Amino acid sequence: MSAKLKKSLLFWLLLSPLVVLILFPFAVMFITAIKPANEVLSPTWWPREEAWRNFIDMWAATNFGNALWNSVYVAVLSTVLALLVSIPAAYAMSRFRFAGQGAFRQFLLVSQMLSPIVLVIGLFRLVVWLGLLDNVNSIVFVYGAFNVAFTVWMLQSYFSTIPKDLEEAAWIEGASPARALAMVFLPLALPAITVTAIFSFINAWNEFVIALTMLRRQESYTLPIQIFSLVAGRYTVEWHHVMAATFVATIPVAIVFAWLQRYLVRGLAIGAVK
Amino acid sequence: MRSPLTNPYVLILPGFLLAAFIILWPLFQLGTISVNDVNRFGQLRGFNGFDNYMAVFRDPDFLGALWRTFIWTGGIVIGALIISVPVAMILNEDFYGRSVARVIIMLPWAVSLTMTAIVWRWALNGESGMLNSGLRNLGLIDQNIQWLARASTAFPVQIMIGILVTIPFTVTIFLGGLSSISDDLYEAAKLEGASRWQTFREITLPLMRPFLNIAIVLNMINVFNSFPIIWATTQGGPANSTDILVTYLYQLGFSLGKLGEASALSIMMFGLLLAFTVVYVSLAMRRERA
Repeated sequence: MSAKLKKSLLFWLLLSPLVVLILFPFAVMFITAIKPANEVLSPTWWPREEAWRNFIDMWAATNFGNALWNSVYVAVLSTVLALLVSIPAAYAMSRFRFAGQGAFRQFLLVSQMLSPIVLVIGLFRLVVWLGLLDNVNSIVFVYGAFNVAFTVWMLQSYFSTIPKDLEEAAWIEGASPARALAMVFLPLALPAITVTAIFSFINAWNEFVIALTMLRRQESYTLPIQIFSLVAGRYTVEWHHVMAATFVATIPVAIVFAWLQRYLVRGLAIGAVK
Repeated sequence: MRSPLTNPYVLILPGFLLAAFIILWPLFQLGTISVNDVNRFGQLRGFNGFDNYMAVFRDPDFLGALWRTFIWTGGIVIGALIISVPVAMILNEDFYGRSVARVIIMLPWAVSLTMTAIVWRWALNGESGMLNSGLRNLGLIDQNIQWLARASTAFPVQIMIGILVTIPFTVTIFLGGLSSISDDLYEAAKLEGASRWQTFREITLPLMRPFLNIAIVLNMINVFNSFPIIWATTQGGPANSTDILVTYLYQLGFSLGKLGEASALSIMMFGLLLAFTVVYVSLAMRRERA
């Protein structure tokens, strides 16, 4: 047996308890999702017959389409909002030295540390004051604002890796700053912006407390709230539908995240630990 | 070059205004409510000094939640740390299936905490849960355990879930740290005849110290703020026995309608988080200078 093979076996053995514990909930989710209704309450590891229909039935039973639409709407718009204000800010942070830069950095840091939960009562009053209670746009606004710190942080660390010479060369060639930005900088920054946008999307997709507080009617629920409402405070829970819904709401995002996670590692390593 | 695009203040202004508005306005509201007598509909009925703050401290449920927040935060941060150091060291090595292993370890990070908690709530179900049936099949227990019915089993399980979802971020930070350590150092140590343990203690650990510090502080902040795991499994129950400060705060504000006390508690938690942040900044600065 080669040394590397031996090492690999040992490492997988060491990791196995953690791997089992991590995969266990995914297994529970998937197996329950394909159990027929009469078998859900018996804790077997595989149904006698796979009920793929659950994924179709769940759609109507859990009001999935509506919540899915709300989640997509909120995640997309809040990401766009955050990027619109963050790209210029991150550009300024990476390209210029100016008085108050340190203070702005500290401000971003503090706002990153503050979870919405600590401010939730104040935020609730703000949303009521704006007349946006029970309106998904309130969530767009709050998520967008709370994402600013993270997006500026990530973008800035990537923007700093794009050499300034290129824009300066464009200036010397007679391009206006706006043109240099559009033709030279933005194309190079596009991958960083895409990655940051996806993480911002995922943050919004997964958020719970704000949505739980601001959304009161089922028509405006996002996915986490919709699925939570099927479980919380009920005598009978249709677990096979809940798990099918959870599966559909979770797996696409998890795959994208797992695929992009190395960019996050790099962004955080350049940005946060600096 | 005169252009708004070369004026940094114009560029940061929209982002600053949006973030400041969403933080400072609510903060100001919280500060105002916390020193006023307020009814459950949010109408202020006059200044009452620190009555709301005193009322929070007199509530035995608050003291329980405070104590549990220490255990919750400490347990998860330390647990995640102890597991993440060896996991990151393994993932930093070259072995078959490493990229698969990395994806699996990172997986809990990708799933919303609410969904994770709901799946665990079902897996922990006393009669029909697959955890009980799995443990019975393995012969580890011979009777179903009602995991979420008592704090003595529910709270440790919640901490375990918390550790699982904290590991990915912690490992990520450590991987960043490990990749910054030059291979030359290990080569040199090998030539000098250092044992693996010596290498770990004398090279890896000291050079990882800043990353350990930062992971600890950031995890403390995140875990302290973590709401969905407890809310979606037990909602702080039974009888407030699994409440931590954030779930207690939510109940105080939105179930019991004690807005004054809830605002006072928010302000105190804000102060605590600010203190954590100051620690973080000074740690980060120290590293920058080093």
